Amino acid sequence: MRWYPLAREEARALLRSKGVWLLALALLLWTYRPSYTVWNELGPDMTIGFLQFAGGIVVPIAAVILGYRAIAGERASGSLKLLLGLPLTRGEILAGKVVGRLAGIAIPMVLALGIVTAAGVVQYGLFSPRRYLAVFAVTVLYLLALVSIVISVSAIVRRTTTAAAMLFIGFILLLDIGWQMFVPGIYSRLAGVPVNPYDPPAEGGLFLMDRLSPTGAYNVATNGILDAGNSAWHHPSAIWALQPSHSSNALAVGEAFDPGTAPLYLHEAGGVVILVAWIVVPLSIAYLRFDEGDLA
Amino acid sequence: MSPANGGDDGIERTKNGGTPDRTKNGGASDRTGNDGTLEHASDELVVETEGLTKRYGPDAAVEDLSLSVESGEIYGFLGPNGAGKSTTINLLMDYVRPTEGSIRVLGLDPRADVVDVHQRVGILPDGFSVYENRTARDHLRLVIDTKGTDDHPEALLERVGLAEAIDDDAGSYSRGMRQRLALAMALVGEPDLLILDEPFSGLDPHGVRTVREIAHEENERGATIFFSSHVLGQVELVCDRMGILHEGELVAEGTLEELRAEAPVTTELELVVDGDPERARRAASGVSGVVDASVAMAGAPSSDESSSVEAGPPSADVDGEPTPSATTATAPAADTVVVRLESTDRREDVIAAVEEAGVAIRRADLEEPSVESIFVAQTEEAADGGELR
Repeated sequence: MRWYPLAREEARALLRSKGVWLLALALLLWTYRPSYTVWNELGPDMTIGFLQFAGGIVVPIAAVILGYRAIAGERASGSLKLLLGLPLTRGEILAGKVVGRLAGIAIPMVLALGIVTAAGVVQYGLFSPRRYLAVFAVTVLYLLALVSIVISVSAIVRRTTTAAAMLFIGFILLLDIGWQMFVPGIYSRLAGVPVNPYDPPAEGGLFLMDRLSPTGAYNVATNGILDAGNSAWHHPSAIWALQPSHSSNALAVGEAFDPGTAPLYLHEAGGVVILVAWIVVPLSIAYLRFDEGDLA
Repeated sequence: MSPANGGDDGIERTKNGGTPDRTKNGGASDRTGNDGTLEHASDELVVETEGLTKRYGPDAAVEDLSLSVESGEIYGFLGPNGAGKSTTINLLMDYVRPTEGSIRVLGLDPRADVVDVHQRVGILPDGFSVYENRTARDHLRLVIDTKGTDDHPEALLERVGLAEAIDDDAGSYSRGMRQRLALAMALVGEPDLLILDEPFSGLDPHGVRTVREIAHEENERGATIFFSSHVLGQVELVCDRMGILHEGELVAEGTLEELRAEAPVTTELELVVDGDPERARRAASGVSGVVDASVAMAGAPSSDESSSVEAGPPSADVDGEPTPSATTATAPAADTVVVRLESTDRREDVIAAVEEAGVAIRRADLEEPSVESIFVAQTEEAADGGELR
């Protein structure tokens, strides 16, 4: 834990910035979204669902904005030289950065979600604490995945602008906001199977692809905990898609597969596995690259 | 967190503190606190590189560099901008990796033992920047807590003259204040080796003096100081030994005397004589190590002789002293003999020879080559008639 002081200073510096508190404010306004569809299905657990709204757009964008310069920017400015002179391995510098940024974003985020939770309890009654804690834990894991991706890109590229371009276009636009829209088209090209998202075929690969993005995986895992349906879309869409009277382009496993026929890899717990992969793979690549080259 | 600067080390320091040839034993032995190792440590090298080469594409920033910095010395690493000084320091600190060659710092491998090396090294890097939105206290706390030492930020900033700005945003600091902050960070944990990369840049004269004083204080405490500079005026005041780097290669190394002795720069000795100056000239030119000797005449004919002499090494005005040749050239010069020497240590022989010849010497002025003239001579010679001229 030699990197603890580094992580601590990173988190402190982040907590002193306006950005994380703007994020907290945005989360307050963005996540409190009661609806009749969800209330009918989940009852008081609707409040737990508010946590899930944090995933998707607001937190990924915040993670990118607050993190893309973490290493690339320090490299460009020269402050990285102050860190490199410390008695730390390069891996420890990377670890300190990831944990510090995680804490710096998580603290205001937890505060905001705490307020939303309190409001939800007052309005809609007490939810299942067990489910709440499970969704909370997966939310932290998701945030760690986002921070890992952002810091990894920042550690690999040489220029801040490259990091920004990769993260905003590659990650936010393609992998986060656009992913679920692109998947049916991409899958039908790759597999040669026509895909109508409003009436999806029972193709395991299609559903797997849909949940490979970090946010998709997060939604799968949290929907599983909430019992809101096996889907990579956020829970209102998943619930909507599974109602026979509605037609929706959200992919839910229950729409296409008869009960018990879905492949094992589409199990909700798989979402956690994918999230872990989004932590381990980028950080491993970043570590190998960061540990190898010249940094000054 | 390894308490590397713990009790044993402290005891060791107080025992040996202040002795100029205080030896630092490299490697893990320092940490064991084994006093027995101190005796053999005198030949211990704090920095040692062999055949060190760093290429960026086809260009070598550092070429076949073999450096050795001994324990307890203040080593000045000189060279023009772009000579490879910072690259060498980056290599010593494992910020960049060598293309070829080997490096030992405190007897350790800077890459494999990066934690141990950095634990015992304090560095003031070149081209760094401080963190905006963090105070000096924040900066120091990071280093103090990572190194696991019990330094006080206030005391460190007091030493570098930044105590009053301790809780100000470092982003608002001037260049000199940033330099002072980074110096304070380098002092955390009483490092065995203090690396200062261009420590004088951006500093006002007070700051320059602070750096010099701290370098001496740290050296007296027992630390080895390795600093790079292209500000040559400061170098003579600070270092015991220096190396001149040019285009990635070490072109000269030694104490100032050694460098003066071996530099391709002549020293001028002016003798004001009572008696026959021609006789004195003949006596002087017979001494080995004398390049030439001439009688400086008053009036027109002598002017080109004396000007040719002055055009030799860039003269003493860089040292801020009055140029003796200028004063004597205008004085009644009929009895002045100018002797150009290969090195300063020929001076006694020349004086002896002139006196032996029966000419009394009224005054002898030796104009020693400055570091700057040595530096210019070395780096131009290495360029070999190249683009520098």
